[in-house]
Amino acid sequence: MKKTHILLIILVAGLIGAIMATFSDASTYADFDLARSNEGQQFTVVGYLDKEAPMNFDAQQTLFTFTAVDKSGKKSKVIYPQPKPQDFERSEEITMKGYHTDTAFVAEEILMKCPSKYNEQNKMAGNEDSYTE
Amino acid sequence: MEYIGEHTWAGELGRIAVITAFASALFATIAYWFSQKEPDTWKTWARSAFWIHALSIFTVVGTLFFMMANHYFEYDYVWKHTSLDLPAKFLFSAFWEGQEGSFLLWMFWHAVLGLVLMYTARNWEGPVLSVFSIVQAFLTTMIMGIYIGSYKLGFSPFILIREMPENIGLPWTQMADYLQRIPGFMDGSGLNPLLQNYWMTIHPPTLFLGFASTLVPFAFAIAALANGDFKSWIKPALPWAFFSVMILGTGILMGGAWAYEALSFGGFWAWDPVENSSLVPWITMVGGAHLILIQRNRGGFLRSAFFFNIISFLLVLYSTFLTRSGILGDSSVHSFVDLGLSGQLVVYLLFFVIAAFGLFIYRYRTIPKPKDDETFDSREFWMFVGQLVFFVSAFQIIFSTSVPVINKLIGPEGWISILEHPMAPPGDPISHYNSLQIPFALILALLIGMTQYMNYRSTKANAFARKIVWSLGFALILTILVSLVFPFGFINSLLLFASIFAIVGNLDFWLRIARGKAAFAGSSVAHMGFGMILLGALISNGQKEVISQNDAYIHKDFPSNENLLIHINDTVEMGPYQVTWTGERQEGTHRIYTMEYLSQNDQGEWIKDFTLEPFINMNERMGNNPEPATRHYWDHDLYTHINWADLRTAEEMDEGWQEIGEFSIGQNDTVIVDQYFAILDSILLDVQEGEDPGHPQMMLIGANLRILSMDGSQYKAVPILAIHQGQTEHFDATIDELGIKFHFEKVDTESNKMVMKFSKRDDEPPFILVKAIIFPQINILWIGSILMAIGTLIAIIQRIRKQKAS
Repeated sequence: MKKTHILLIILVAGLIGAIMATFSDASTYADFDLARSNEGQQFTVVGYLDKEAPMNFDAQQTLFTFTAVDKSGKKSKVIYPQPKPQDFERSEEITMKGYHTDTAFVAEEILMKCPSKYNEQNKMAGNEDSYTE
Repeated sequence: MEYIGEHTWAGELGRIAVITAFASALFATIAYWFSQKEPDTWKTWARSAFWIHALSIFTVVGTLFFMMANHYFEYDYVWKHTSLDLPAKFLFSAFWEGQEGSFLLWMFWHAVLGLVLMYTARNWEGPVLSVFSIVQAFLTTMIMGIYIGSYKLGFSPFILIREMPENIGLPWTQMADYLQRIPGFMDGSGLNPLLQNYWMTIHPPTLFLGFASTLVPFAFAIAALANGDFKSWIKPALPWAFFSVMILGTGILMGGAWAYEALSFGGFWAWDPVENSSLVPWITMVGGAHLILIQRNRGGFLRSAFFFNIISFLLVLYSTFLTRSGILGDSSVHSFVDLGLSGQLVVYLLFFVIAAFGLFIYRYRTIPKPKDDETFDSREFWMFVGQLVFFVSAFQIIFSTSVPVINKLIGPEGWISILEHPMAPPGDPISHYNSLQIPFALILALLIGMTQYMNYRSTKANAFARKIVWSLGFALILTILVSLVFPFGFINSLLLFASIFAIVGNLDFWLRIARGKAAFAGSSVAHMGFGMILLGALISNGQKEVISQNDAYIHKDFPSNENLLIHINDTVEMGPYQVTWTGERQEGTHRIYTMEYLSQNDQGEWIKDFTLEPFINMNERMGNNPEPATRHYWDHDLYTHINWADLRTAEEMDEGWQEIGEFSIGQNDTVIVDQYFAILDSILLDVQEGEDPGHPQMMLIGANLRILSMDGSQYKAVPILAIHQGQTEHFDATIDELGIKFHFEKVDTESNKMVMKFSKRDDEPPFILVKAIIFPQINILWIGSILMAIGTLIAIIQRIRKQKAS
């Protein structure tokens, strides 16, 4: 066997290893129900802020709690052990990475999507209803 | 109808230039191709066509820039990305903020590089510029914005707001004087505050020049494959491949510098999908450049050289697709907004992938390869191993970054549904990528240190050992010394050694064995730079220290103790410092927080050391963004940013009362409210009879409350509820000494109780939450970056000189 062939085998092994590592580390998009039934497992939940429910930010403990509604309409209390993100109330959509405990979803990371600029432009021209997506 | 105040000439000029650019690029593709066979008939045509193309692109860029500089807000692109108050120095950032502008920037560099090649590529001009032209023709359609049937091809930066699809048919578009009548058109939306940073003026053009430069080796490789001339492209492509490595690498690191300075995630690299998709083509380009070098110096691995140089450009296209199709929407904070170009991007990507790989596979068997097997003791063998490690590293990064694409292909709603649930990017990307990439970095650093001491073809084991032993030993001693200051875990200690060895080894080789000859300077300096980047990244990241620790402790997995709460004018301890928040002020859109750092002098007294002013960029349209302030020392950085602040305006805070809660109380009841007892002694009633008996005109109900505080003192409070012709009015009762207030909400007729609201004076002084991190030795990283660029530049210049001489 030629040495380049040995290298090739090692290369292929490396590539397969990389694919497997990604699959084992990847999180899963889920709703709160799935996260709740697999406590402690990593999930990514996409939802939005429940503006009716109380929101609390304990600055001493740096603990932010709120209620989120996922895409299938399920609500859950969310604990975010970080300062409350600026403009949180304005967010249209929040992506929460974390895991569910018996009482709440613990978000380790939050990404927010804020209203797009297209909205603003239409508001400017006085045509709020014309925005469709 | 004639609209008043529109500058339609600019848009028309721009559109004509785009169409001309497209047509001339198509023509140049064909003309350049034929010019190989019949230069007499075609070469002049081809050159003229490419010149027209380049000039058209420059016209498009110039026109758009002129429109932005002159505030033609009737144009969508101008309105979206600039505003009247935008400082002129940020006009460039605004130009490439949007997709259309950044496509233009990319095409601009292609045009410039194409012109350079026209006069330097000699007999390669024909096929290379033919490839350039076809790429440019494809790219030009991205900013065309014309309809073919119902399909919209590209997105034009020259579209008027009233021509936007969502505005067509709206009443205001029928007003001739809409620009004068609607205030929204007087000023634009403005540039994203995060991009209002000088790095954003130089990082995108450098990065896009880097992207554009990958086309040069690609075009050479494709031309070589197409013509079946497999070896002579190596010589002219070599300096270009390293040029690409230098520029793209510099562009990526500038992005890191910007992130470190202006973003608040606390670091220079976050493995964000957008960052990754620019890093991966650089990695494969490094591979491509080194494989060309092996072929040039010694011969061998020619097929791999083709593969790496082809795939680098294709990866640039792929990363364009990732960042601009909107597919990363959920996983990246800074990808572009989807303009509906994804279909077009997929078509382009597939076209170039199929064409390039088709040609490569077709020619694969005929590409010459060395007859002898490689030997373990040759320099080229280990250089090749290094490029393979680079390749696996690049593959791992791009595969993980492509999770959204994998979802589209095999997710539950994908093409072939294999996965039960959609796959999401790793929950903790930083540890995911770090844990997988550190071993690759480790092997690479060892190879970089080692291969210098080896010879092409074969190396004598004795001589090799004698040469390398000094730097190995010295690196080991240094590693132990560094470990005493910065203790690392096992795998990181190995990386520490490997990166120190890469630096020491290259320095030793250059100064001692190559006797400091200029001919060896380039690669040694560049490799030292790479080693320093690894070393700086390892120490600054692996040994970073969050000094803003608070003592809240919830759970070991809860990182809730990394922010320190500071009241105004209060002084708190933070690592080796005492920190005072002395106040805040507003400057333009910046809300600036002044923080004074005190440190202890030799006598043990606390004296003022320096002031840091992190700020929050207030922007109604795009959200408020904190920007850190960093104090730089030669051996570490102190990084501070505001993680939370009360952003209410003075008027909003004037109310000064904070509602604590609601309670119901009946006559003679005692209720515990906060830290007080409230007793309802009696209910006072005042009814004013109206003209109609039995229907009172006004009724006043007063709750005669007695408040007992903990120390036994008593207070009276009588909140009143007034009912006047069905309308209610409330008269709150305040106890100033205690700073509390009662509000008579209503009478609950069912339970016969009075419902009260209780508020306290908001007497807590304002506070902010601060995060502060010490990044030790981060300057090693920046110095390494500069050395890598300089070293590569030296190598390129040396190479061009050598080629001219031969």
